[in-house]
Amino acid sequence: MTEQELLYGLRNGEELAFKELVHQFQLSVFNTSLGLLQHSADAEDIAQEVFIQVYRSIKKFKEEAKLSTWIYKITVTKCLNHLRSKKRKKRFGFISSLFGNDNTPLYEPEEFNHPGIQLDKKEEAAILFKLVDQLPENQRTAFILNKVEELSYREIAAILNTSEPAVDALLQRAKQNLRKKINELPP
Amino acid sequence: MNNKEDKILNSLAGLQKAAAPDFFYTRLLGRMQNESVPQQKQFFLLSPVFVGAVLFLVLILNVFSIVQLNKTPEQKVTVHSAGPASLQSFADAYNMNTALVYE
Repeated sequence: MTEQELLYGLRNGEELAFKELVHQFQLSVFNTSLGLLQHSADAEDIAQEVFIQVYRSIKKFKEEAKLSTWIYKITVTKCLNHLRSKKRKKRFGFISSLFGNDNTPLYEPEEFNHPGIQLDKKEEAAILFKLVDQLPENQRTAFILNKVEELSYREIAAILNTSEPAVDALLQRAKQNLRKKINELPP
Repeated sequence: MNNKEDKILNSLAGLQKAAAPDFFYTRLLGRMQNESVPQQKQFFLLSPVFVGAVLFLVLILNVFSIVQLNKTPEQKVTVHSAGPASLQSFADAYNMNTALVYE
């Protein structure tokens, strides 16, 4: 099914077209969410929200960009909103409900292990994901889209509404920050 | 140190895509069907925020009334004592004590 046929089917509410859309994009959407959120259940939840949003607002899609770019944009926005809301909840003390009587956290966020990592690189990748999580939003997004999704600078620039040199700068800064953080790690 | 840096930074090389969760499409359809069922809109007069605000307003009115009731007797005394005196002085100033003419 071509992109035009897919769009035509989606605009007419055809279930077959929607099934095809999910089939075509579920890996990209899920993996982007997984890279940004570093949590399987949250990534699945957000991936579902992305497809629901696509289904509901397909008529607003003006085809100024590729369908994949539009879907990536929705995914990144939803993931960043989810992370912001999580951070907000933490800041305003919701997390205190997770503490027991002796003030010890009942829930410790587990170390994230991406299921697609090669076994011999698992330990280093876990450290890298932890450090990526500390990067500013735009650097983190560019890094994940480039390293996890293996998107080109042009595609990342379209998703982030910026230019290719700006994406290059973001990735350079992300690497510099990561190097700095690695050097600060205990030996 | 550079070796460690490079090892960590290059650890995502050869990363395989994670498989989407099992039954992803079925779960997605289930969620869409659940969300499309119109949820009964709560009558806003019964919403906790509205009820709380009304109760708070009633409480404020009660406190205000009690404070005013406690003040009233004193004010009445001052009004009664000041009232006739000021009327009399007003009448004197403007020579309005017409009753004297008929006495």
